[in-house]
Amino acid sequence: MAKTILAVDDSGSLRQMVAFSLKAAGYEVIEAVDGQDGLDKAKKQTVDLVLTDQNMPRMDGLSLIKALRGMTSYQRVPILMLTTESSDDMKAQGKAAGANGWLVKPFDPARLTEVVKKVIG
Amino acid sequence: MAPNEMMGSQVKCLLSGVSGHGDRHLAEVETDLVQMNILLGEAIKKLGASFMAIHGALCIQQETVNLLLSGGTPAPECVARLEAIHGEIGQHVNAAVTGLQFQDMTSQLIGRMVTHLAGLRDVFGALDSGSSNVLPESGHEDIVTLLNSINQMLAERSVALEGVVGKAVSQRHMESGEIELF
Repeated sequence: MAKTILAVDDSGSLRQMVAFSLKAAGYEVIEAVDGQDGLDKAKKQTVDLVLTDQNMPRMDGLSLIKALRGMTSYQRVPILMLTTESSDDMKAQGKAAGANGWLVKPFDPARLTEVVKKVIG
Repeated sequence: MAPNEMMGSQVKCLLSGVSGHGDRHLAEVETDLVQMNILLGEAIKKLGASFMAIHGALCIQQETVNLLLSGGTPAPECVARLEAIHGEIGQHVNAAVTGLQFQDMTSQLIGRMVTHLAGLRDVFGALDSGSSNVLPESGHEDIVTLLNSINQMLAERSVALEGVVGKAVSQRHMESGEIELF
């Protein structure tokens, strides 16, 4: 059974590229338009990995991670940040919030797939 | 007209002019930027759909080629070439996917510009509201006090603007960014 990834990003084109890349590698992808939408969808179905942007309306990536880590079902689910932000300070905040990795945009599909495979198989 | 009256009148005229002209031009720029964002979003949506359709067609073509090859005895170099082409297509597709992410970044940049322009309009608005307190008979001290209050207002609005502008995008090339696992 294919593993499911929740892709959270307010950019429609970016979600499209993420879904295209990961589906080609055999994963199922659920898309969410911002942190709040991501949290709502994560509550409905526990996924195998969360891939989230940082700067989004309504709820940003760090807030989403904190909210997910507060849920019993998401305490061990890997969460990766995929963002234009690359400062050490932001990475430290992400790590402290519970992120398992930091990917700086733009992404290369092969490298993204490689990282996802390394994290969830 | 006394010197002080002239000064007051001129300052009022200057401030109103700066506010009116600045607001009009910046409102046009803001509208254009918002429109550009809409168009860019539309363009990338179409590009993405086309790109995936082409990829799907290429995959079918490859399957067909494989089927034909399985029925005959193609030369080994032909098979090797076909396999190489398939690999090349995959690399081009990956590069295109990386390149197509430009809209995500230009959208953020445009968002910042729109916020800055809205802030500038706010600043010009402060100049205009300040100038309405200048009377033709206002004295030198009154004008100095008024200009001081306008300056304070502008400084406060500038600080408030800093809090709402999104973070800058530092990427300069559409190539894969760094990856760090914690």
